[in-house]
Formats: sequence, C-alpha cells, structure tokens
Amino acid sequence: MASITFSQVTKRFPGADRPAVDTVSFTVPADEICMLLGTSGSGKTTLLRMVNRLGDPTSGQVLIDGVPTTEQDPIHLRRGIGYVIQQVGLFPHLTVEDNVRLVPSITGEPAAKSRPRVEALLRLVGLPPAEYRRRYPSQLSGGQAQRVGLARALAADPAILLMDEPFGSLDAITRGRMQQELLRMQQELHKTILFVTHDVDEALTLGDRIAVLAEGRLVQVGTPVELLATPANAFVRRLMGADSIVRQFEYLPVTLALDAAGVRPHAAESITADTTLLEALLRLIQSEQPALVVEEAGRPIGHVTLGSISRSVRRHRSGVQA
Amino acid sequence: MQYLLDTRHWILGEPTSITSLLVAHLRITAISVLIGLAVAFPLALVAVRHTRTYLPLITVAGILYTLPSLAFMALLIPFTGLTATTVVIPLVLYAQVVLIRNIVAAIQAIDPWVVEVGYAMGMTTRQVQWRVVLPLALPVIVAGVRVATVTTIGIATIAPLFGVPSLGYLIFQGFNTSYADQVMAGVILVSALAILTDLALLGVQRLLSRGRRVSPATA
Ligand SMILES: Nc1ncnc2c1ncn2[C@@H]1O[C@H](COP(=O)(O)OP(=O)(O)O)[C@@H](O)[C@H]1O
Ligand SMILES: [Mg+2]
Repeated sequence: MASITFSQVTKRFPGADRPAVDTVSFTVPADEICMLLGTSGSGKTTLLRMVNRLGDPTSGQVLIDGVPTTEQDPIHLRRGIGYVIQQVGLFPHLTVEDNVRLVPSITGEPAAKSRPRVEALLRLVGLPPAEYRRRYPSQLSGGQAQRVGLARALAADPAILLMDEPFGSLDAITRGRMQQELLRMQQELHKTILFVTHDVDEALTLGDRIAVLAEGRLVQVGTPVELLATPANAFVRRLMGADSIVRQFEYLPVTLALDAAGVRPHAAESITADTTLLEALLRLIQSEQPALVVEEAGRPIGHVTLGSISRSVRRHRSGVQA
Repeated sequence: MQYLLDTRHWILGEPTSITSLLVAHLRITAISVLIGLAVAFPLALVAVRHTRTYLPLITVAGILYTLPSLAFMALLIPFTGLTATTVVIPLVLYAQVVLIRNIVAAIQAIDPWVVEVGYAMGMTTRQVQWRVVLPLALPVIVAGVRVATVTTIGIATIAPLFGVPSLGYLIFQGFNTSYADQVMAGVILVSALAILTDLALLGVQRLLSRGRRVSPATA
C-alpha cells in the first residue's frame, strides 16, 4: 500500500535547452499499475528515477504516501522500492539465488533466513528453484534473466515497483507471456507499479492508468478506455492509435456499444460487461444470434447487436474527430 | 641434472643453496609486484576518473618498459648502491604498463547498469565498491598481475649482478666457474618458477571468474 504523487515536478539537466521533465503533476493510487507512455526522450526514465532518488527534482516534489522523498534517507527509501530495467543488470558474479537475495543480504540478513522466500519468489516468476537457483546469469536466456530481475526486485517485499521498459529487449512472444504473468502476479501482490514503456499496446494491456508524456510534459493521464475514447488532443489520439478500429475493438469494453432498446429477453447467450468489443463481435458471429445479453455481476444491463457495435464505433470515431 | 638432484644444494639456511635462492627470488618478485600494484592502483583510478590522463600515463609507463633492465639498474647504483632497492625500483616501474592497463580495463569493462542497479537497490557507495566493482574487476586485474609477475620473475634473474640474491646466482656462478650443470639448474628453476606461478595465478583467476568467461590480460 503506497501511493506516489508527483507535484509540480521539474528536472533540468545542466546544459539542456529544455527541462527533461516539466512541471508534471499526477497521482498513482496505491496498488495500481500506472504506465508512463511516451516517445523516446520524453522524460519517462528521468521521472521514474526521481521516485527512488536516483535523481532529485530541480523543483517540485515526489511524495510517497504524502511524504516527500527528499525527506527520506535515499538508502532506506531504495530498499523499499523494487527496480527493474530493460538491461536487467544482474550481478554476473552471483548465482541466481544470490542475486535474488541481494537486498536482504545488504541489510545483513543471513542466507538461511531468506532461503524460503527466495525459493517462493523464483516459483512466483516461473523458475523452478531446484533447476535455476545455482545458475549464473550467463546461463540464462533473456526472458529468464528478466524473471530473475523481477524476483530480485520483489525480494524485500517493496510496496512500490519501478519498471523501466523491462520487456523491451524480449521477443514478441516472450514479451506477451511476461505481460500476462505480471498481471497474474499483480493479482496476488498488489504493488503500486510505475511502468515505463513506449509501446502503446503494452500500455493498454497492463495499465490500470496511463500517463502520456511528450517533451517532458504530462499530456494526459487516464484509464486505457479514457485515453482511447476521449484523447485530450491530436497527439494523444495519434499516439494511442485511437482512430484505429482494430485498437478500439481490442481494448474498448462492450458496455460502450449497448443497444438503446434495453434488454431483449429472448437473446439466448450472455457475455460479461468487461468483454472487449472484439470478443463480443466474435461471439455474435459464432452464436449466429441477432443479440447477446450483457451482464454485470450476474445481472443483465443491456444487450448488443452487430448494429449497435458498428454504430458505437462510428459515433466514437466522429466524436474523436469533432 | 646432477646439480639439481644433489641434496647438498638444497640445504636450508645455506645462503647460496637452491632453497635460499628460490625464496630470495620469490621475495624480490612479490615485493616488486606488490609495490607495483600499490603504485598502479591509484594511478589507474585517476586515469579512470580523468580519462585525459590515461594516454600520457600509459605512454610514460610504456617508455619505461622499453628501457634495458641491466642499464636501468646500473644507472641507479650511484643513488641506491648495491641494494635490493636498485633491483626493485625498475621492476616496479616495468610492471606499471601492464598493471595500469589491466586495472583501467577491468573497471571500464564493468556494466554501468549493474552499478546502477546496485545503487537502486539501496547499496551504499562502499557496498557497491566492495560487493560489485571489486569482485567484477578482480579477475581482469589478476590477469594483469599474472603477466607482471612472470615478467618480474624473468628480470629478477639479473639481481645477483647488483648484490641481491636470486636464482640467477646459479647461472652467473656457473658461467664464472664453467660449471654447465649449475647454469642449466638455474635456467630450469627460473623457467619452472615462472610457469608454476603463472598456473597458480591462472587458478586464482578462474576461481575469481565464477559465472563468467576467463579473460586474457590486456597486454
Ligand atoms: N543524465 C542526464 N544528463 C543530461 N541529460 C539527460 C540525462 N538523462 C536524460 N537526459 C535527457 O533528458 C531527456 C529525457 O530523457 P529520458 O528520461 O531518458 O527519456 P525517455 O526515458 O522517455 O526516453 C532527453 O533529452 C535526455 O537526453
Ligand atoms: Mg528511458
């Protein structure tokens, strides 16, 4: 349980003509995954590194649970914040096990005490301890190394996890699998995760919330649906690919396409309210029915038809362009 | 071979016995390499921090390395006389080029992301230096120490010319008395010492390189 608040945060590097991060303010609520999305050089990494004080703001404040980070000892602060980066940065001279128990070991915890926890973490990230514990980083694939990196970041059971393009150098299939596993783990772990990416699909897949950065400024922050449905400006619309029917179908929920006529009792099949438009469409086609009932918590809240889906997408596109 | 196998030549406490000369040879080598390291370390750290100093530093060390050892030591006699210092100063200076090069290379080869993660996980600067930088740099530094040590063992052979005992004594004494077997004994012992020391340090390097490739020295 920990929220992160950026309050008027600005970071200026010496010699740069514009700030790397420019008066950014927003809050990441506890236990949420917040994606920092933007093109290369937009200030995502700089913003992330201010949370664990690898860099301090030139002005403004980062607050964790309301306490400014600059009032906390950086060493102590960092031991309570997990850090995962694209380059992984495993210690090549330590075994997988010793890499994972690094934070406990620097605080002086004996190996025997952290052993069960290390094994549980390796299992959590999908690496059977018996097989991987004694390996060195050079004996791991890219995906396995990043799993170890994640286990290491979780070792001290931090409330906050900072992830800087952690899956950026993995192949598409491995990346997709890791994204799904992160979501699975988050259901157990309930960490506050700040996750940097330049990949819109990754942001839409993982984010409870997405903060869009451009040239150091916060352009928009909102849920994936909000960003797709009501992009703040042309930049966000283009970045999100909000005009793309495919993307809308993939990420927008079926509740945006309910038929105005209310519940039709004779529709035989039902779907849940969090179903995407794409899934709803496929189900409609497969079922060969004119309509599907949409249920929320087991209660029907409306229905969708091919017509209502197509109208919603058209309405949505014209709304965006208006 | 006769000379080597004769147990009378191995008597402990006898100043010119093989045993005493071997110990003396090892001692002069160890002293030179250790002082060499003590000098090279701070110089290398300066070169890492201020990259512009590296080229002048390594150029001077390189020029020193090319000086003929016999002439170098002879030049020192007016200042330091026929003492171990006369032998050790050139040996220390010869080792600089390979030691500085390897220490600098060892530190520069460390993945900066590993250091960044160290700090990000809450390591103190001291913990980063002792738990990350040093263990990662050591194998490459030892590779340099290997080269420096073997070179030093070779040059220390001429130490007896300056009144300092080493295995070279057997060679010079053998020449003076036309005792070929003694000369051969000296040559064999110096070579064996160099080879065995090299293997021992290779073992150390292997041990320190766990999890990684064993790197050759940057010569
Ligand atoms: N240590 C630094 N010194 C100077 N400029 C930097 C430093 N780190 C980042 N920058 C600059 O700040 C801007 C934002 O960089 P960064 O936060 O790394 O962007 P992103 O992670 O979104 O790609 C860039 O223009 C970059 O060149
Ligand atoms: Mg970045």
